[in-house]
Amino acid sequence: MSGSPSREDMLIQNIREQFPGLVKEARVVRRSRPEIVVAPEKMLEVTLFLRDQLGFDHANGVSGVDYNREARFEVVYHTSSLEKKEMRDLVLAVKENLPRNTPKAVSLVPVWPGVENFERETFEMFGITFDGHPRLEKLFLTDNWDGPPPLRKEVRFPTD
Amino acid sequence: MAVPEKPAPVAAAEAAAMSESGAQTLTVSVGPQHSGSGHMRLIIELDGDIIVNVAPDPGYVHRGIEKICEVRNIIKSIPVIERPAIIDSSNLNHAYIKAIEELQGVEPPPRGKYLRSLLNEMNRIMSHLYWLSIYGVFVGHTTMFMWPLGDRELFIDLAEKLTGARITHSYIVPGGVRRDLPQGFAEEAVKRTLYFEKRLDEYEKIFFNNPLFSSRAKGVGVLPRREAIALGCTGPTLRGSGVDADLRKDEPYAAYPELDFDVPTRKEGDSFSRSIVRMDEMRESCKLIRQILKQIPAGPIRRRAPIVVPRGEAYSRVESARGECSFYMVGEGGDKPYRVRYITGSYRNMAAIPVLLKGGHMADMPTAWWSVDYWPVEADR
Amino acid sequence: MSAQKTSQQEDDPLAMLADSISVWVGKLSDIVKRIVDTGPIRSVVNWGRIYSLWPVNITTACCSAEFGAASGARHDLERFGVLPLGSLRQSDLIVVEGTITKKMAKRLRMIYDQMAIPRYVIAMGDCAISGGLFHDSYSIVNGAHEFLPVDVYVPGCPPRPEALEQAIIMLQEKIRKSKVYAQG
Repeated sequence: MSGSPSREDMLIQNIREQFPGLVKEARVVRRSRPEIVVAPEKMLEVTLFLRDQLGFDHANGVSGVDYNREARFEVVYHTSSLEKKEMRDLVLAVKENLPRNTPKAVSLVPVWPGVENFERETFEMFGITFDGHPRLEKLFLTDNWDGPPPLRKEVRFPTD
Repeated sequence: MAVPEKPAPVAAAEAAAMSESGAQTLTVSVGPQHSGSGHMRLIIELDGDIIVNVAPDPGYVHRGIEKICEVRNIIKSIPVIERPAIIDSSNLNHAYIKAIEELQGVEPPPRGKYLRSLLNEMNRIMSHLYWLSIYGVFVGHTTMFMWPLGDRELFIDLAEKLTGARITHSYIVPGGVRRDLPQGFAEEAVKRTLYFEKRLDEYEKIFFNNPLFSSRAKGVGVLPRREAIALGCTGPTLRGSGVDADLRKDEPYAAYPELDFDVPTRKEGDSFSRSIVRMDEMRESCKLIRQILKQIPAGPIRRRAPIVVPRGEAYSRVESARGECSFYMVGEGGDKPYRVRYITGSYRNMAAIPVLLKGGHMADMPTAWWSVDYWPVEADR
Repeated sequence: MSAQKTSQQEDDPLAMLADSISVWVGKLSDIVKRIVDTGPIRSVVNWGRIYSLWPVNITTACCSAEFGAASGARHDLERFGVLPLGSLRQSDLIVVEGTITKKMAKRLRMIYDQMAIPRYVIAMGDCAISGGLFHDSYSIVNGAHEFLPVDVYVPGCPPRPEALEQAIIMLQEKIRKSKVYAQG
């Protein structure tokens, strides 16, 4: 990359300076799409810093991804800023990796209250538990599906 | 014929809650079947007539679209992706195709971008008119039910001329769009938008500035600005609470960088301001349609794009009628994505419903609820 | 009643008279029922039912947009007598529009059971006929006929409002000729 560092690079550098050694990986996927990978037990600390010091005031969404060939689940929090107009187009992906046989994560509802429903959905679709979630129960699947969490790769469709 | 068994009743612990004043509260189940809206249940705790607590119970229309996308070819997933908010289908379609194009590194030609924005704005008007007509059902105003549906047919005709289908357009494909403008389309569209703007003035006089509606909607279902931001609300729900966020201006895509329009915002955060925001958006969309048809460049409408999802990750979002519709796509090569995460505007606004209903009267519940334009199918996917 | 006769009542003339009267009353009610079920009175009853089919529309998903358009100003369903008023107890038609999930199927059966007789069912859209686009999903019931007696199927994804109008007319024909499921 030539020229002065982009704001995505400066953002990642800022986070790295604040939490030396905690941010495992970081890269800029493309313009306005940086991502960082954080250890699961440090997610609360890092995201509180993001919200209070850097202005990431809401979460756009929470996604679980099942990398079954690598025996891990990945939970991705996408966050952005509404108050800071110049950062409105930037979406930071905060990722954590969990072992596939005991997926336990910490709930980020104290940081961003809007993730409550998304974490519930990730729990019912993948089986990932979130410690500290005010109401961790099924959201869409009550009476709809009784089997294993459906978005896991071992649950196959008849037309697959 | 196998008759399904009855569902389990509401748990006793929920039913016997106590309010702050010490009186016993009553738990009322609103839904899942109600006239006009889709299927969603609200479990409402009442202290007399005042709403104390609301727990949404979605899932009645959950069709498992994220899993379906993993087993279908990307082109075959387009109708599936459109179905959650079918009245606003091209916006959802656009977000999905944008994610695929980002992974492929393909950009549509300028004429294709303008045509995408054209259909998006037409869908925005169609969606807001449908919202307004169902508001008539909720509020008990039969003219508010009939007139918007009649005017909506004007735009459905245009969409049918352009894409071949009334509401299930499936128009946006990787690399561009499927069909070009037919002959005579531009004149017809301009005529209809001019007529519709006059109708919007009538709507404002008859529906909104009318004490029949404004006395019911002003001050009802207030969503404060701080809560709207923290809960991640989006779309007119957010703009009615004083935040002028609109992806068409903040992160412009398709033809929007070259178009000139305003983002209507209101400060009060009640049902009335959300309704006025939507009406102003319809006006802006009419202006945008005329601008697009005047400025549209000549050229091809579609670039060659393979039916493949390359290895990588992409996050794309689009301003749909109900808010930000975003896709997080993980590809691993092949023609099917590895993971499609689909979050719609209604799903994000579901978090705001308990906040804006709490403290209000039970009789105000339909007005407040529908002003958020929560579309249950879109939230359940 | 005759089986419970004791030897004392065998010769009782009043009991024998009551018995024969009840037999004749039974025969009379059979004759009245036969007159009403076939013939001119049934046609009048059917005629009354056809032109005021009030539906409960189960606005599940996308088909509800076309049902709304059909009730709207251009294709006006009310000219067929179809007026969606909303309450279950005063409706006699269910229009199942769209995909039925397992969660909704239980409630839909409750809704059908709550409706008063006569009640008819229209399955609108491919999803209500066979599961449609979502046929292989984990939370779907493949068709309304799995748990409801369907009278008319309307194919399409979604069907045009004109197709829905034709479905209403077909249902009216079926009722006129009494070719619907037994009510009650």
